[in-house]
Amino acid sequence: MSKKVIVACGGAVATSTIAANKVQELGKANGIPIEICQCRISEIPSNLDEAVLIVTTGKCKRDFGVPLVTGMPFISGVGVEKTERAILDVLNAS
Amino acid sequence: MVWEELSAARVVPSLEASTMEEVMEGLGTVMIDRGYAKDTYVDALVERERAFPTGLDINGVGVAIPHTDVSHVIKEGMAIGKLNKPVRFTLMGTDDETTDVSLVFMLSVKDPQGHLVQLQRILEIIQDNEVLKRLMSCDNAAAIIDVIKEKEQSL
Repeated sequence: MSKKVIVACGGAVATSTIAANKVQELGKANGIPIEICQCRISEIPSNLDEAVLIVTTGKCKRDFGVPLVTGMPFISGVGVEKTERAILDVLNAS
Repeated sequence: MVWEELSAARVVPSLEASTMEEVMEGLGTVMIDRGYAKDTYVDALVERERAFPTGLDINGVGVAIPHTDVSHVIKEGMAIGKLNKPVRFTLMGTDDETTDVSLVFMLSVKDPQGHLVQLQRILEIIQDNEVLKRLMSCDNAAAIIDVIKEKEQSL
């Protein structure tokens, strides 16, 4: 069964599209089927059902009860490997 | 490719601004005047930047990638502004950390999925510290487009 990952940014336009693609590729490269749910940060609460991970590219300090990894490195290019490891750790543990 | 769609008319090699709002006004007006965005674009950019900042610190070079909701956009595009002096932007993902921005890549995004490749290319340009440094030393629009063209051809 695929694992649901919420990828969110301020407007679900540019940065979350990039991050969603990166997460999808990461899953593929590691044999983990992923279902991406791309939305605005404000829409996260209504999409939480069955989600195992949240990746955000905007500020988000709320605790949704689901592991949250910041996807900013996918945008800046700084610290990408560390972020990929953090995402894989959550996916492998779920 | 990004450089092919970039016209000199949307590259401002010496943008005069001292606040984030002035940057949005200066560069956003270019996008409106060239038919890329609606009249509501500048206000929407400012509002969006306040709620979800887009400043990035690329190994010491301050860059911002302001953009806003598709409803304010007419067509897909980008404007580039090189600031005469750095302007303080809030770092993406924070509300209290800042970066002094010298280069602004303003996006008008209409169909993110359809332009994923283009968006990724823009990020590859922005993530290259050497390219940023070269862009900072450009004094005209043609030179800026040339640097981007060269980078894209190396990808």
